[in-house]
Amino acid sequence: MTLLELTLYFMLLSLISVGGMPSVLPELQRYAVDVKQWVTPQEFIQIFAVGQAAPGPNVLIAALIGWKVAGLAGALLALAGMCGPAAVLAWWVADLWDRFKGSPWRTAIQRAIAPIVVGFILSGGFILATPGTPDWRLWAIAAATAAGMLLTRINPLWFLAAGGAIGGLLLS
Amino acid sequence: MNVTPPKSLGELFLGFLSIGARSFGGVMPWAHRVMVEERRWVDEADFAETIGLCQFLPGPNVGNASIVYGKRWFGLAGALVAFLGLFALPFVWVLALFALYADFAATNPTLRAVVTGVGAAGAGMFIGTAVKLGRVLARRPAALALIATCFLAAGIGRVSLFFVLPVSLAIAIFCARRGLL
Repeated sequence: MTLLELTLYFMLLSLISVGGMPSVLPELQRYAVDVKQWVTPQEFIQIFAVGQAAPGPNVLIAALIGWKVAGLAGALLALAGMCGPAAVLAWWVADLWDRFKGSPWRTAIQRAIAPIVVGFILSGGFILATPGTPDWRLWAIAAATAAGMLLTRINPLWFLAAGGAIGGLLLS
Repeated sequence: MNVTPPKSLGELFLGFLSIGARSFGGVMPWAHRVMVEERRWVDEADFAETIGLCQFLPGPNVGNASIVYGKRWFGLAGALVAFLGLFALPFVWVLALFALYADFAATNPTLRAVVTGVGAAGAGMFIGTAVKLGRVLARRPAALALIATCFLAAGIGRVSLFFVLPVSLAIAIFCARRGLL
């Protein structure tokens, strides 16, 4: 039953994941933590961290949630659910999209989606940095990383490493 | 630039496998490197156009790109092979890493603190990305208002995206048609 629920939920999530995993992170957190209590808020940020530190598309966070809920089968089904419907849509839309090049509706949709995705990604960042009660240490790490990313051209992996080092010092 | 699409499903698989295998810190730069620079399957303009489409579609960007290119070159078999190639290694690695982590984290609070710190930095990367993308849009008041509304609804109010997305998309398309975005 849980497997079915997990798969169906990720299939639905797949369809609204405009902008990729970052956009739907607020929704995933709301459902997996608040509604279903599959994972705690602290586990959620750790799952996210492992997903970020490992190579690969960040939809793999879905596989990790599935793994937490139902082991390997859960991981496979969650990932398939998260990618499947979107992949089917990509399959059908690719040709259509080419045909509507220059159409005013295509331009309108592109323009409309951009600010929404930005709002959702911002939400995802805020929610991740605020598991449970607000913690200034997590906010400081997040703010420093955001600033570093905007002001320098350093490889982002260094920010993850620095965040880990500072976390080890401040949070334990 | 001379472009030579992959000649076999095997080549397609290996190409996407090498994208997935090396994609530390984001898949997109590696997809570009392998497909445009190393293997020369597609040219810059084609790559940019396809990624643009995949950013607009729901789902993982490069995952969708693997479907689009796989379909173009080898139909359904190509789409499946490219997709599986992309995900095969990262899937195994992320589970292995997490299993390893869960094993040690149970008894080690410092490790938990380090990983939480990595998560907070990852959250900061999201915020940085949002600011980067938002800066370009912020010249339009309507875009700024939409960003703020989506953040308040989804981030602060914790309203489900299954509600926020359709509503905000309808408003945004209306604004875009009026030339406000």
